[in-house]
Amino acid sequence: MSFMQPSPVKYACSCGILNPINKLFFCRHCPKLHCGFCVTHEIESHFCSNCLENIPSTEAKHKKNCCANCFDCPCCQHTLSARASTVPVVRKSEESKDVKEPKDGDSTGEATPPVPASSKPSAVPTTKKMYYLSCLSCRWTTRDVGIPDQGVATGTWPDNECLYQARFNALVEYFQAVVLQEKQEKLEFMRRKAPKQHKFPSLTDRTGLTVSLIRRQIGWNDKVPKAKAVITPAESTSEVEGLPANIFTEQPNLRNVTTIAQRHSQPADQPTAVGSLYPQRRSLWIKRSLRCRQCEHNLIKPEYHPTSIKYRIQLFASYHVPEVVMVRCEQPLVPGKSNAILLKLTNPTMYDMTIRLLTAAPPEDAQVSAETTRVVKEEPISSSPLLKTVGITLSRQNSTREVKREVIDASNAEIVPLESEFVLSQRDDSKEFDEYVQLPTEEPKFIVWRKGNKVLVRLQFTPAEELAFGTDVVLGFFMQYTYVNTVTNASEKKEPTTHALHSRVFITAGATEQKAT
Amino acid sequence: MPIYESVMQEKPPIVLDIGTAYTKLGFAAEAYPRKIMPTEVVMTTTGIRKRLFDYGTPEELYDQLVDFLQTIFFKHLLVSPKERKFVLVENVFGPTVLRETLARVLFVHFDVSSVMFVPVHLIALSTLAVPTALVIDIGYSETSVMPVFSGVQIMGAFKDQSYGGKAVHAEIKRQLVETGVKESLLTESVLEDIKVRTCFVTTMERAQARAKGGEDQPTPAPGVDYIVSDNDAVIQVPGSLREAVYEIMFEPSNERDSLPHLILRSILDCTLDVRRALVESVFLVGGGSMVQGLLARLRQELHHLLAEDPFYAERFHGELQFKFFNAIGKQNFTAWLGGALCGATDLIQTRSLVKETYLKSEHVPDWSNLCDNRPTGS
Repeated sequence: MSFMQPSPVKYACSCGILNPINKLFFCRHCPKLHCGFCVTHEIESHFCSNCLENIPSTEAKHKKNCCANCFDCPCCQHTLSARASTVPVVRKSEESKDVKEPKDGDSTGEATPPVPASSKPSAVPTTKKMYYLSCLSCRWTTRDVGIPDQGVATGTWPDNECLYQARFNALVEYFQAVVLQEKQEKLEFMRRKAPKQHKFPSLTDRTGLTVSLIRRQIGWNDKVPKAKAVITPAESTSEVEGLPANIFTEQPNLRNVTTIAQRHSQPADQPTAVGSLYPQRRSLWIKRSLRCRQCEHNLIKPEYHPTSIKYRIQLFASYHVPEVVMVRCEQPLVPGKSNAILLKLTNPTMYDMTIRLLTAAPPEDAQVSAETTRVVKEEPISSSPLLKTVGITLSRQNSTREVKREVIDASNAEIVPLESEFVLSQRDDSKEFDEYVQLPTEEPKFIVWRKGNKVLVRLQFTPAEELAFGTDVVLGFFMQYTYVNTVTNASEKKEPTTHALHSRVFITAGATEQKAT
Repeated sequence: MPIYESVMQEKPPIVLDIGTAYTKLGFAAEAYPRKIMPTEVVMTTTGIRKRLFDYGTPEELYDQLVDFLQTIFFKHLLVSPKERKFVLVENVFGPTVLRETLARVLFVHFDVSSVMFVPVHLIALSTLAVPTALVIDIGYSETSVMPVFSGVQIMGAFKDQSYGGKAVHAEIKRQLVETGVKESLLTESVLEDIKVRTCFVTTMERAQARAKGGEDQPTPAPGVDYIVSDNDAVIQVPGSLREAVYEIMFEPSNERDSLPHLILRSILDCTLDVRRALVESVFLVGGGSMVQGLLARLRQELHHLLAEDPFYAERFHGELQFKFFNAIGKQNFTAWLGGALCGATDLIQTRSLVKETYLKSEHVPDWSNLCDNRPTGS
């Protein structure tokens, strides 16, 4: 299986999109093929891709999805690394008469060993490690923009602050108050409009007179003092910023002007001068888990820890569905001339498979079709008002609504279906090392070669007559296979059940060649 | 205890402003977007980058939107879109198919709980806390002018023209190719970089002198050597180009469709009573309005037209002084900021299109659709 090149063999997913097998998943509960498009993606965990630290989701949210320790270069978006330098420090308790020796403060990496300055042990100038951030890719450092070195390697770097944060907060408060006030006025209005139905109707209810009477009796103000939301609106000016005077005379230095990508990486202030670039906190990555839309079972669930690349649940299609690999065509592809293709089929499961290659869709397996109709039936029920009240479980059914597409039938060659079915034996890793012995078994004609769980099949086909020179010949067929399911939805049946499944396979055999005349 | 608070709070709504060139994304009640990213998708089959809104069929758009939003949610915002509330900043005159497809992607594919569409001009104005202004949005594909009075958009006076970032890029390309620069060097990103880093809007006097021709031309601004980092080539950007590319917005023509004309005509389309208020509150938003010298030039041009052009002289009276608002934050995300403000209020509960309503009819209510605007009962 080649991951780098687009595979010539494509499987039709249950949603109708064609994908190579390494991009497909197999839900054992449905049981159907799924692709990245027709599953729900969920966020499993947040982590920093640089320091590989796992960050809980609440903390990630609070930190605005940024790592607390790692920084990106504002210049080239590469990761910054902390560099240490030693700076001499005079102890405060010592008399200031002790003159410390000047030392090279710029040596990166290792701290230079302290040199005894004088005979008095108390006068030895101590050194302190100071850190700055540096980009190993473009040589940018925090010193370039005048950020002072820090005593701690991580953490204490100040965040660049948003200049208008106070104004923004005022605006948020103002609009929240305005909306709330409107809501209350509306409620008040509705209350007046539709007075409570008393047994004895009273005029005062309608006018709200009783409230004001009581308030007056107590000695309060007549009206409820309403806190009106206030904000100073922005003011327009007729003075606008003109061009700087030197723009027509002075040669601009592009090295000092930021690029658009650098500006956008700092969305809050978008500096135009290189001097205002600031180290940016590195944004987190996530681990994703995938869930089947129909049965809500997990298809992929990664292990929690960021350093692990293993899965807790992994239902990749290549572990369950026989893999078809195109080996070669026997003759050059000529339109209208019969040809044969060699396909290698591999059984990845621990059970024998019976396989048929068909040109038309086989009748549905009884159990599977019963299940699918059940899903279809459920939808109208969920929209009925009676079941709406049941709530959560049914509202989740909405996620199955993703529209199924018709498989685009791109095949343009006629296939001679195989005359009989054949068995693909189970995968047995130990057999891989056995000596290869061709057993004298009765094999159907079309089987060219067989070893362990692999079979080479010869499939005859004829590219369509009207194909132009250079068009890709696509073979399309249905592959029916028996699949032994070890998990079942029904709890009473413990033994594995066998399904006859099928998937549609399309093979791009290659471009047609010039018709032999 | 901020962490405790964040646990208690409801999930903040996601605010998206999907522009033609750049998408601004972030959460409500935050003062700036989390990310400003190009509105581009990489096709999985061919590996080609293309703009999100280049599509053939609605199905293609649907797939591209799914891909694009998937990237936004799982690479940048890092939140699951399921059961989330959304604020989408939209163009009032944007294509219906876009809006409908976007709603379908969000509700059907991503299973979101509610979506609120907010018009870009109106919502950009909310960042100023003023009810009246003439909002000019200079975007990538077009420049549009919408007067807003007391929080109501005056639709009849809406004006737009196709000079935005795209037209400026085309102009830079045209002028550079004329000077003999290889066209293969001038990719969209190079053009954009040249525009952003070197170009500016010149003064009216200089522009007029150049347009007139003759001997006493002002000496052009100094030229720049622009280095294309991808293939070690140097493009000589002449000084005349630096100051002249934005002239496409100010070029006088018989159509009266340059930017100053657009503004004045839009004001004239409003009723008499609101005109003075609009003249005294002009608000420029959009990434295109961040160029140096644009406001000064615009002000000069507007006053020049008022004084010199007989058409406007007989329609505008009295002492008129054009006044401009300064945006909080940067203009390229002002509309997003408005959306973030809107999403922070209770409006998100009351004015949104919720999933149940959408799934009943599979239709997004629109101001231009008569089905949604019939007086009830008829």
